[in-house]
Amino acid sequence: MTMRRGTSFVLCITALLMVVALMAPAAAGAAQGGANGHLARDTSRIVSIGGAVTEILYALGLEQRIVAVDATSHYPPQALREKRSVGYFRALSPEGVLGLNPSLILAIEGAGPKQAMTVIEAAGAGFVSVPDRFTGEGIIEKIRVIAAAAGVEQRGECLAKAVSADLDTLARLRATISEPTRALFLLSFVGERAQVAGRATAAEGIMRLAGAVNAITEFEGYKPVSDEAIIAAQPQAVLAMQREANPLDARTVFAHQAFALTPAAKRQAFMAMNGLYLLGFGPRTALAARDLATALHPTVPKTVIPSERTPPERCLG
Amino acid sequence: MTPAIEASGITVRIGTKALIDDVTLAIAPGETVALVGPNGAGKSTLLRVLAGEIAPRTGTATLRGRALQSYPPQALALHRAVLSQHTTVAFPFTVADVVRMGAGSARGGKADALVAAALAEVDLAAFDERIITTLSGGEQQRAHFARILVQLAYGEAVHGPGLLLLDEPTASLDLRHQLDLLEATRRCRARGVTIVAVLHDLNLAALFADRIVVLDRGRIVADGSPRDILTDAMLEQVFGVASAIGRVPADGAPFVLPHAMARTQRHAAARTVTALS
Amino acid sequence: MTTAADAPVVGRRAGGWARIRHQPVLVIAVLLAVLVVVAIGAATVGAAGIPLHRLLAAAGLGAGEPDLIARDRLVLWSIRLPRIAVAAMVGALLAAAGAIMQGLFRNPLADPALVGVSSGGALAATTTIVMGDRLGWPLPFELLPVAAFLGALAATTALYRIATRESRTSAAIFLLGGLAIAALANAGIGLLIFIADDRQLRDVTFWMLGSLSGATWPKAIAIAPFPALLLIAMPLIVRGLDLLVLGESEAFHMGVEVEKLKRRSIMLVSAMTGAAVAVAGVIGFVGIVLPHLLRLMVGPGHRLLLPASVFLGAILMIGADTGARVLAAPAEVPIGILTAAIGAPFFLAILLRQRSIASL
Repeated sequence: MTMRRGTSFVLCITALLMVVALMAPAAAGAAQGGANGHLARDTSRIVSIGGAVTEILYALGLEQRIVAVDATSHYPPQALREKRSVGYFRALSPEGVLGLNPSLILAIEGAGPKQAMTVIEAAGAGFVSVPDRFTGEGIIEKIRVIAAAAGVEQRGECLAKAVSADLDTLARLRATISEPTRALFLLSFVGERAQVAGRATAAEGIMRLAGAVNAITEFEGYKPVSDEAIIAAQPQAVLAMQREANPLDARTVFAHQAFALTPAAKRQAFMAMNGLYLLGFGPRTALAARDLATALHPTVPKTVIPSERTPPERCLG
Repeated sequence: MTPAIEASGITVRIGTKALIDDVTLAIAPGETVALVGPNGAGKSTLLRVLAGEIAPRTGTATLRGRALQSYPPQALALHRAVLSQHTTVAFPFTVADVVRMGAGSARGGKADALVAAALAEVDLAAFDERIITTLSGGEQQRAHFARILVQLAYGEAVHGPGLLLLDEPTASLDLRHQLDLLEATRRCRARGVTIVAVLHDLNLAALFADRIVVLDRGRIVADGSPRDILTDAMLEQVFGVASAIGRVPADGAPFVLPHAMARTQRHAAARTVTALS
Repeated sequence: MTTAADAPVVGRRAGGWARIRHQPVLVIAVLLAVLVVVAIGAATVGAAGIPLHRLLAAAGLGAGEPDLIARDRLVLWSIRLPRIAVAAMVGALLAAAGAIMQGLFRNPLADPALVGVSSGGALAATTTIVMGDRLGWPLPFELLPVAAFLGALAATTALYRIATRESRTSAAIFLLGGLAIAALANAGIGLLIFIADDRQLRDVTFWMLGSLSGATWPKAIAIAPFPALLLIAMPLIVRGLDLLVLGESEAFHMGVEVEKLKRRSIMLVSAMTGAAVAVAGVIGFVGIVLPHLLRLMVGPGHRLLLPASVFLGAILMIGADTGARVLAAPAEVPIGILTAAIGAPFFLAILLRQRSIASL
């Protein structure tokens, strides 16, 4: 009835060998220090993965060095027109990326799939992971990491200062908000269930920057929620991304049985904004947050963000 | 002389029911024994014990003086071969492939010669490249017999003439081929192979065996030569058949030709019980 | 005396390939040659193609433009070669596992997935992906294959225990138990999917569809022992599997230690499939279609069928992976989709052809 001890032994040894074989490179990497890889000496061929990463590279004047971008790099518009695409950043293929012979790969955190990223990192073609935190400081960090990887620290500091100024203005705007609006970010409808943003999402981050409050706090990430949860959340406004196909609009959303009973429905408060603009956490985020804050809190005064007046291109000098 | 195969005090149970109850049987080398009995008498079960397939609850079985259960299967296959009533072949092997399976791990010329000889013996030489599952039931059975012949020949080369166990071997054969098979076994017998066969047909048993062992409800109730065993009384008591045992004038071998079924109550009850097991 | 002329018309001779099965060495040699050709072909094809004449330079055996060589070398050594190696091994393991399963259960429809291997592996992998971040200690991603492998083994062990009583393993209970375990695993996976967040969901789906995009040298080394194990075990089981075709009783009569054969074969199948699943996710149809096809071509004798399955499995998996890389470049089609999309119709075609011929 029991398996021969001999064969179980062999299998255990084999499993152990598997573990060793699989862990060895990870251990070796850790011993060398830093999972973020070494700084590439040559930064002349950059693959940019992530909408915000591409935006920042263009803002730093490095567009000539970019050989390819990912499918979410919608800004500036010429990025996808002029550059090759390596596909959706969560469905990358090692060959698609490495075949371009890049000397620097800047990948936003969350690029995947994990196994493809392992192969790409292991290839030793100058891989740098760009952290993606959904706060103002997160944007500054992105700029600094990208600038350092590309060897243009000075320009990076300049851009970082400009963005900082934007964020300070935004903070002053927030201070004038007496009653933060409860907002709900709707990712999509899956059948009859709504997929919404919980904690630790870019959607919540931008709500915070806009002086609003996420009506959904029970979970993290984007999840489907029940009708009762929507009603219980009592959102005063509903946000969504603009879409070409099947766009969500106020009529569709508030026709839904649960949304129809929310305060947002009474005020017909629905907003759709460009996805990368709203959620990208890049150089334009302060502007997006200002737009959102104004839309959610009609009583706040119109505020001008510094970068609107003086575009950050002056940093390229 | 060491019996070729010997069983003593064998009991095989399923749950509380005894399929074989305290059976003792010794078969001398070269003997040809027929196991007969009504349905459920335990004939096939006893054969499987002799084949080493079933370990009896009590008692011991020995083959050539050594405990049957102590033989590893590969060694056992060199001493005895078993022909079942029906063998399914799950994949489309050719007849030659199947017959060659009897040759152990022998390959090449020696195995091919054994295979050819066996196929000729069962009159299937022309069928060697046919897919076995496309043959008729009788033809397939002959092919399997050829396989058994190869196995016996192979074992004979190592240990001398072995043991051949047959379980209703003629069930699917037409008359011609029934007799052919018996002829083939006779040739084995001539080489000294010990044969134990479960047979339903009492006439065939009478024709074929030196010795008939009659089983009824798990016990041996008669054991002896066909002349001694096949009596009207035995047939009535064990099989519930009123019969007239006749004699063929030519050589005096008995044959059985029932006139009618026995009418006694006792036999009707016995038949019901044995039919259920 | 019956002659060939009397043979009934409805009977069938061993197919037109009959002569091939008598020349096993030739068959293996041809398959080996095809394997080499396909591997070289796969090395040249891809989103970043390497023409044949640059292949040698990339392999370090020739000269050429330094820039191009650098790129080619990167692609060849970091991506293509590990992928070809892993694809070959995974294909070989899955095809051989299928052949052994079919011999063991005496059924041409038996598939390695039936021993619960895929379910166990999938459940373990999904658990690792979804729960890995939630528990205090983050499970390093590199250990996912190990978790999948152990999950696969655990499932088969449980199944074996269920189906074996007093040292006898019942094939019927094994198969039915496999269905039950698969259902249980699916329930678990469903639950995990329910609590998973966006990113985890994507990772799980990706894994379940099967992919060789994560092939690295460490992974290739990690599963290399399994084909080796197969090579060692093959001679020990081929005769037994052949005899098992006649039934367990008959096999015993012919000298096979049936329970030992079953145990060994099941463990071999579970280890091989577990390793393949661990490294490449769930890839179906290879285990059913390839051995079936080969049985039609080279006959049901396992002495040739098993090695032929190994080689043909490797060849086809390399081919399928090449297709996966090329069809939707720069993205990749998960290979499980390809094997299903090609394998299923193929399988149906085989079934339809066989309908008129006696006994499946």
